[in-house]
Amino acid sequence: MSEPENVIEIRNLSKDYRDFWGRRKVQALKSLSLDVKKGEIFGLLGPNGSGKTTTMKLLLGLLFPTAGDVKIFGEPSSNVEKNERIGYLPEESYLYRFLNADETLDFYGRLFNMSKAERKQRCEELIQQVGIQHARKRPLKEYSKGMTRRIGLAQALINNPELVLLDEPTSGLDPIGTRDMKDMILKLRDEGKTVVMCSHLLADVQDVCDRIAILYGGELKVVGKVDELLKSKDQDQFLTSALSPEARADIEAVLKKHDAKLISSDRPTSTLEELFLKTVQISQENPGQRFVSEEKGSDSPLDQKSEAKD
Amino acid sequence: MSFDVVGFDLTEGIIHFLKVFGGVLAAALFAAFLISILKNGVSGAGLFFKGLGRGCSDFLQTSPKRVWAITVLTWREASRKKALFVFVIFALLLMFAGWFLKGSVDRPDLQIKNYISFILRAITWLTLPVMLLLSCWGIPTDIKNRSLHTVVTKPVRRQEVMLGRFFGFTLVGSVVLSVMGITGYYWTVGQVPQEARAELVSRVPVYCNKTSFTNNQGGKEDTGINVGDIWQFRSYIAGGTKARALYKFDDLDLDAIRQDKRLRMEYNFEAFRTHKGEMDKRLLCQLTIVNNKSDLRVPLPIFEIQEFSNRAQEKTITLEESVSYNEEGTSTVKTANLFDDILEGNSITVEVQCLDPGQFIGMARPDLFIKMPDRSFASSYFKAVFGIWLQMVLIIVIGVTAGCFVKGPVATLLTFGIVMVGASGLSDLMRGLVTGTQNGGGPFESAYRMLFHMNPTTEIDAGPLSAVMTVLDTIMIGFLWTIQHLFPRFDFFNMSQYAANGIDVPWNATLLPSILVTLAFVIPCLILGYFSLQLREMEAK
Ligand SMILES: Nc1ncnc2c1ncn2[C@@H]1O[C@H](COP(=O)(O)OP(=O)(O)OP(=O)(O)O)[C@@H](O)[C@H]1O
Ligand SMILES: [Mg+2]
Repeated sequence: MSEPENVIEIRNLSKDYRDFWGRRKVQALKSLSLDVKKGEIFGLLGPNGSGKTTTMKLLLGLLFPTAGDVKIFGEPSSNVEKNERIGYLPEESYLYRFLNADETLDFYGRLFNMSKAERKQRCEELIQQVGIQHARKRPLKEYSKGMTRRIGLAQALINNPELVLLDEPTSGLDPIGTRDMKDMILKLRDEGKTVVMCSHLLADVQDVCDRIAILYGGELKVVGKVDELLKSKDQDQFLTSALSPEARADIEAVLKKHDAKLISSDRPTSTLEELFLKTVQISQENPGQRFVSEEKGSDSPLDQKSEAKD
Repeated sequence: MSFDVVGFDLTEGIIHFLKVFGGVLAAALFAAFLISILKNGVSGAGLFFKGLGRGCSDFLQTSPKRVWAITVLTWREASRKKALFVFVIFALLLMFAGWFLKGSVDRPDLQIKNYISFILRAITWLTLPVMLLLSCWGIPTDIKNRSLHTVVTKPVRRQEVMLGRFFGFTLVGSVVLSVMGITGYYWTVGQVPQEARAELVSRVPVYCNKTSFTNNQGGKEDTGINVGDIWQFRSYIAGGTKARALYKFDDLDLDAIRQDKRLRMEYNFEAFRTHKGEMDKRLLCQLTIVNNKSDLRVPLPIFEIQEFSNRAQEKTITLEESVSYNEEGTSTVKTANLFDDILEGNSITVEVQCLDPGQFIGMARPDLFIKMPDRSFASSYFKAVFGIWLQMVLIIVIGVTAGCFVKGPVATLLTFGIVMVGASGLSDLMRGLVTGTQNGGGPFESAYRMLFHMNPTTEIDAGPLSAVMTVLDTIMIGFLWTIQHLFPRFDFFNMSQYAANGIDVPWNATLLPSILVTLAFVIPCLILGYFSLQLREMEAK
């Protein structure tokens, strides 16, 4: 069977959390459909409690869907073999706190049936990569939040996975750590890996993600390519070299004459933060409204907002 | 002390296991099938078989490496979380135990029993509760801390998690137990005074397969007289009559006896007096060896029953290689050779009689046994420790399985409950019900009798009502019978009393059944735990 282009296919996925008696407590996901293509970085955004973590757990088979289904690499999520090709960084690093960093990586390496030499080499690389060489012999219970995050990431990459699921990878990291994390994610893409990440740091998401989806209350509100989503259609933007006051005074005239030295001209993009806030705001006002589906390829909430203003 | 040592029938045991296991398995599968159909409609059937298929393929793909990884993890967890603290308690106990145990009995040789039971009890009560707690909290804690999320998102099968935990705890327990066992051995040997060391041995009894009796007139009977003792363990023969008890021992290990150049027997008869007799005399008893082939009868010297003695030596009767005896009815002294005349091939028959008219002696099957050459004390001691180990393994597997279903505290209670029921055995009421010897019928009939104030022995008129009740009771009792077998019988495992009484732990009657009971629980528990982990969401509930 040839490798499907979509690494992840989610179809009409719903999830209810129920209590012991089977009564519904929360409807965490409502009929979500999404595809993630091979080789892209996909960002899953949404306010707290919107169902991002739930989606990830459903993908991994940690939770069972109430309705709909999930396919990873074309296989159902209950299939254990898929885990050979997946790396997962949970929302909080759920590791064994009595192990030290070396032992932790060695343990997870063993779960992949890696040979001893392989484990040692991989462990060495990853500890360098996430920058915790100085603490590798200390038990994880002594780690700070950021350090735990780093070893958590190392653990997720131990098997050199094709698909990496990162639940808030940058939470708790210092600016340098965040930078490193972003570089690492981009590097993963360069290696042809697929990355799905949740994050609340929108600037970072904007930097690294190819495509995003925004969830609100368990429903999909926005999905699409980042640059397309952020592009406004009714404005232009110019970037020039530094201008003297006279030049600046002249600029309108110059522009009228159409012979200024144009360095760049583009549609101005708003920030992802703006998109996010507007999506949430409109969703609160009009529940049930959905803006962008890739098939239709229209209507960004940003445009909506400006239309609403007019 | 008496053991009713019953040889264990392997084939019957296995058939028994298959019956219970098969019954429960079939019931469980049927229930799962029904639930699946009720929940998912017609497609439920497909889902059920898919789940079953996946279960089988998962079990086939078990990877020893991954199991070992989790085993090592469990070991590290236990040792780093200071579970090995029990050693300290053990050491403290041993240091101070001497103060309390010493001097409780005057004779040093009688203290041996105290020391051995103390040490074995200390080991049991220190290791088993700790292992119960550890194994019941292992997986629930993993689920609660969600560290299991990180594990099961690796290519780990659920039964590997279980097996890893099971082996890990078993490893922890085994290390704890061996250290304690070895320390305890040297401690015991050290505590026993030099002059009593000779008694620190394991006797190797060979019990007869079946006893038979003759009544006062010499006619054959299966049992002796019931003297109205409430406990019907022993049956009795009257003194001064033709009543005899016959013990036939088969399959003796001739080589061992030849090497020993003698044959020893030990008795443990009970005297039952109907009148005081002579105040300072004990009952007289005589053993006669009967060779059924050559009709040779060798009466052995008459002896007094040492009914209050605990010392094995005082109750031992030794046949040397050549035995001289008074021929019955005459007073000619003759000699017989142990191997040529007395033993019939590899079996021997012993006839017991009581010589005091009007008095009785009582005996059960294990009350007369052949003593093969003694083994070292270590033999029975370490077998008893092995018995503790088996109990521990059983507790661990039940604990780990319970932990796959419910949270730590509930799992602990559940396991504790199962162990308690298994250890105390069934109540007489339950046993009577299950075996049908209880008066007044099963639960339905009893309820009916209570409602109408009927005596348990009153006949109920035959009719549709009684027929219905009988059917319902049969179903209930079948159910109870199965339930009864779901609890492990811990009485098999109690090998400490053998060691304490200086008897080697028999393979067939004790070791083999305990090993099999343990195995019989490990396998179904693994299957149960696997399906629980597979079918539940890994969320803390
Ligand atoms: N184990 C659970 N039991 C009951 N409800 C739950 C459980 N886990 C999550 N929920 C509920 O499901 C909804 C979605 O939760 P989820 O953790 O997926 O949100 P999230 O998008 O990851 O939020 P955050 O940004 O805070 O991480 C929430 O309403 C939450 O309360
Ligand atoms: Mg979350």
